[in-house]
Amino acid sequence: MSELATLELNGGVATLTLRRVGQRNALSVDLLEALHARMDEADAIEGLRVLVVAGEGRAFCAGMDLKQVVVAESGDPGLALRLLSSLGELTLRLRRLPAVTVASVNGAAIGGGCGLSCVCDISVTHEGAKLGFPEVDMGLCPAVVAPWVVRKVGAGMARKILLMGGLIEPGEALRVGLVNELVGSREALDERVGEIAARLADASGHALAATKSLLNELDNSLDAGLIGRGAELSARVLATPEAQAALSARLR
Amino acid sequence: MIRVERDGGVGLLLLDRAAQRNALTPEMLAGLPGRARELAEDCRVVVLGGEGRVFCAGFDLKMCAADSTGGTMRALLAGLAEAIAVLRTLEVPVVVAAHGAAIAGGAALLGGGDVVVTDTHTKIGYPVVKIGVSPAVSAPFLASGVNGGGVRQRLLDPGLIDGAGAHRIGLAHELVAEPGAVRARAVEIARTLASKPGGAVGATRAWLDEIEAGLTPLGAGAAARGLRASLSIAGNEDERARLAQMWGTK
Repeated sequence: MSELATLELNGGVATLTLRRVGQRNALSVDLLEALHARMDEADAIEGLRVLVVAGEGRAFCAGMDLKQVVVAESGDPGLALRLLSSLGELTLRLRRLPAVTVASVNGAAIGGGCGLSCVCDISVTHEGAKLGFPEVDMGLCPAVVAPWVVRKVGAGMARKILLMGGLIEPGEALRVGLVNELVGSREALDERVGEIAARLADASGHALAATKSLLNELDNSLDAGLIGRGAELSARVLATPEAQAALSARLR
Repeated sequence: MIRVERDGGVGLLLLDRAAQRNALTPEMLAGLPGRARELAEDCRVVVLGGEGRVFCAGFDLKMCAADSTGGTMRALLAGLAEAIAVLRTLEVPVVVAAHGAAIAGGAALLGGGDVVVTDTHTKIGYPVVKIGVSPAVSAPFLASGVNGGGVRQRLLDPGLIDGAGAHRIGLAHELVAEPGAVRARAVEIARTLASKPGGAVGATRAWLDEIEAGLTPLGAGAAARGLRASLSIAGNEDERARLAQMWGTK
């Protein structure tokens, strides 16, 4: 089996790529394990300045793999909490990494996928991408990603976005600060992310790491308890009959 | 002076004192929590709006000017804080439809909404420092939607902004072109919220409250602290003089 996630190093810039292309990079337990293994490698790289996070293929990340969280499909009621906890831990690792993280949102970034973009220090997308948090549309509570959305766009806008569900046009995502930059096309995205990464890689690694660490302190980013409680809440709501029914309908 | 209507699963909570631009009296604010809770019992979403040409012009200052004890002002401040707190912790989401004008106490009510709809021309602001009143009571609620710099400017500068400006700084979430279209858009948003399956919306709202309380060292006590700051100077001599000047009373 080919690797579900890869880490490529080029100068001071590493690129973490989700490669579960057939499933639009949906977050399965396997994919998350692969991402954690690649983060182990990233943690070990001395002097890493920049980590670009991207998706292979047309999607950035379509969110949780619904097949794994519908109990009727997976046959394993405990799988959802494991998946959500693993996602929560991954977001904390990305935030804790001293290198600056840049999300290259190359396509659909939905639910947990959009959360991965929010946890990154900088996120860039293009006009063809779709972003959003449709969790409530399926009876789910986006509790793991909510703290990152609040930190990215502020509590008031996060409330509107997460309660309304649905998808958000790239222009609106830029306006509310869900992404920091918007370019015209997928090709332009690669070029723009390359420029940003090169500029960061040129800067002082100590200065970047010190600044990121302060920013993490100011918004209490590394509160692992909050993310853990979020995973439990999300799993609890997910297990309700209404949510299971809405998810099953979505899968059919 | 507070009227309720039911439209499918959407409850309308309406300030109904149009001839006085829905200026808030202590009785209106005291009645608001009960009417809101009553709607929440059988509706999935509540829309807060105002009858007539504007959403709300703020406190009834004529009443305040007529009460030399300052008791009316204090009752209004406490009632406002309670009304916003009740809206924010209501069992169901709240959409605010702010058309025409949302001034002072009226602007503060925007803080009670999960989603705020306004129109390009609506006048919004907290000009109460002009009459010797502190808008501190609004600060904790304003801070949940607007960044720190914006909060300072809005509460300290008595000038008004328009709906487009409010949308730009995050005080409003949705902008329509005309005041007449605000209520319809708010109801449409309410229907979207009402359509979500199961308890997901309720769980998400409660979780966002918990996250938000962690953003300030005051935690969930921030709202009470804001009210205390406004009450601490309410009824002062400067306020009485400025209100008297405004209404030609002594």
